[in-house]
Amino acid sequence: LLFLQRVLLLVASDVDALCACKILQALFQCDHVQYTLVPVSGWQELETAFLEHKDQFKYFVLINCGANVDLLEILQPEEDTFFFICDSHRPINVVNVYNETQIKLLVKQDDDLDVPAYDDIFRDEEDEEEDSETESDGSEPSDKRRRFEEEVIERTMKRRQRREWEARRREILFDYEQYEYHGTSSAMVMFDMAWIMSKDLNDMLWWAIVGLTDQWVQDKITQMKYVTDIGILQRHVSRHNHRNEDEENSLSIDCMRIAFEYDLRLALYQHWSLYESLCNTSYTSANLKLWSVQGKKRLQEFLADMGLPLKQVKQKFNSMDISLKENLREMIEESANKFGMKDLRVQTFSIHFGFKNKFLASDIVYATVSLMESIEKEGPETTNFIKALDSLSRGNLDKLHQGLDLAKKQLRAIQQTVASCICTNLVISQGPFLYCSLMEGMPDVKLFSKPVSLCLLSKYLLKSFVCSTKNKRCKLLPLIMAAPMDVEQGTVIMVGIPPETESSDKKNFFGRAFEKAADSTNSRTLHNHFDMSIIELKTEDRSKFLDALVSLLS
Amino acid sequence: MEPAEAEFLAEKELVTIVPNFSLDRIHLGDLGPFNPGLPVEVPVWLAINLKQRQKCRLIPPEWMDVEKLAEIRDQERKEDTFTPMPSPYYMELTKLLLNYASDNIPKADEIRTLVKDTWDTRMAKLRLSADSFVRQQEAHAKLDNLTLMEINTIGTFLTQALDHMYKLRTNLQPGESAQSQDF
Repeated sequence: LLFLQRVLLLVASDVDALCACKILQALFQCDHVQYTLVPVSGWQELETAFLEHKDQFKYFVLINCGANVDLLEILQPEEDTFFFICDSHRPINVVNVYNETQIKLLVKQDDDLDVPAYDDIFRDEEDEEEDSETESDGSEPSDKRRRFEEEVIERTMKRRQRREWEARRREILFDYEQYEYHGTSSAMVMFDMAWIMSKDLNDMLWWAIVGLTDQWVQDKITQMKYVTDIGILQRHVSRHNHRNEDEENSLSIDCMRIAFEYDLRLALYQHWSLYESLCNTSYTSANLKLWSVQGKKRLQEFLADMGLPLKQVKQKFNSMDISLKENLREMIEESANKFGMKDLRVQTFSIHFGFKNKFLASDIVYATVSLMESIEKEGPETTNFIKALDSLSRGNLDKLHQGLDLAKKQLRAIQQTVASCICTNLVISQGPFLYCSLMEGMPDVKLFSKPVSLCLLSKYLLKSFVCSTKNKRCKLLPLIMAAPMDVEQGTVIMVGIPPETESSDKKNFFGRAFEKAADSTNSRTLHNHFDMSIIELKTEDRSKFLDALVSLLS
Repeated sequence: MEPAEAEFLAEKELVTIVPNFSLDRIHLGDLGPFNPGLPVEVPVWLAINLKQRQKCRLIPPEWMDVEKLAEIRDQERKEDTFTPMPSPYYMELTKLLLNYASDNIPKADEIRTLVKDTWDTRMAKLRLSADSFVRQQEAHAKLDNLTLMEINTIGTFLTQALDHMYKLRTNLQPGESAQSQDF
């Protein structure tokens, strides 16, 4: 089918989408399928790209965009255009689910979609027509009169039934669409597809791992889902990488190997110094309360407890004494338990190739996010996307290292911003939610004009806030974070994240809430991002928007 | 001739692959029918292309084996002259196969080292031979068992050097109708 047709790939701007894109590109290359790649960062770009290309392409593949809206309504495509959507955003719009011809969704079979039944939401329009037609039947007047009465009764009953059905439908749809969450990572779905076609490679497996890790880093999936998916990937990893144990047939050192690790969740620690990593990882920074003087003392105690001299710990990790590095993971875990940090180790994977290159999946995620959202403007808008995409290939180590450096800067900026927000009490409770707004003059504030960075900042801020406040009620509140987006145009970007609890199901209701608040206040907003819980608005409209939200959610 | 040209010629050599697709005979130089799982011989250029598209698995040639190559290397070190090589394109084939299909070749790193050792020994012998050739001002020399790549490496340099030396020598003899050679 696809041999003679070209395909247009529309890819959203998040790491999971980039990984899924890499896998798909590799599959396309194997089969010589011609494609055009268009990165899109929001609905507007999606629509523009579609309008530009709709005459030349009949097949569109959308990665991490398009599932949660009525796509056909927005794009108004021709009858013979086909859309393949591989999107981890949930809930999937009901029209997309039940469309049988033009929209094809790529979902994993056991992904629980909870879609309402067809009959509950769709109803044929023909029922109404029949009612009005039975009026004009010529017959005797008395009969006619009786039949007329019967008809009136029938019609009222039908109308009542219809109203009941509609009310139930609204309820069902409201429940279905109220909370936003994420399903299986698109990269994993793509890898699954490759596996079914028997074209899966170690490279693709690595991208699937990075896609899943991106979901974990950004807190988009529950802990249980993460562990389940890790298990699935682990089976694939053993299948592809078992030759490493076999001495007889061992692989060349240049070949890529993936290994399962139960490693520390300290961000970038193998490419930084242990000290910096401890300070700039949200888990340790929040639990030790590193924004306070007391917190810093606790960190010293923590290090002393493990017997790690400060001088060693502040060096580059690779230069640390080997004797100290030997049992590092177990030592840190033991001490961390004493200090109230029980989850310092996490199941993940690492990649090895050549003699020097070893990376954890989370390292790659941080590096790619920083490359993608880098604020340095060089060249056309898509260069950052392409750079980030390239850095995922093993041949482009220089880009990866660039990404790692940018990631370090970003993590430091996040921690410093979090520290200053907490110390200056910038996080205030508005009743149903917490609110924090970044001022224009704050250092590094430009970094947070991008959605993924702002989301990371918000999550880390909420974690730290929960550890710092004594107010029990505040600990259970969700957070809305605002940051200046474009100073010239006077816009602000706002992000809403669900509350930070142990057993959070990561479901986010801010998407609908933002929509309603925007409507009711006539604010000039732009719901441009594929994640509905991110919204842009004019700075002047901010306060009335917030007031509307408060009254909506109280 | 450029090394790239030598590599191009090397790609015509045949190597065995195990395809995972099926296709009938193609007359692009008589390429046999392809059946998944059955080994078939194809030229290296096609093998590399198919490997890159994940359509086959490469089987290393028989001589690309650690023990055999160790033997060849030791043999080369013992002899003063050049020993015959398992393939006239051993260097190019090693490079191509190890670059693109190292996951299909067991102990690829050792093989790379062994082939490099053999190459180094032969190049040393070549240099020695060229040196004595020039010193003794021989008119011609016979070197057996050299491969194209090795000839290329020294060829241009040697011929140009000899040319220069000839010019210098003729200019040393004054008075004789010293017609300088125009080039």
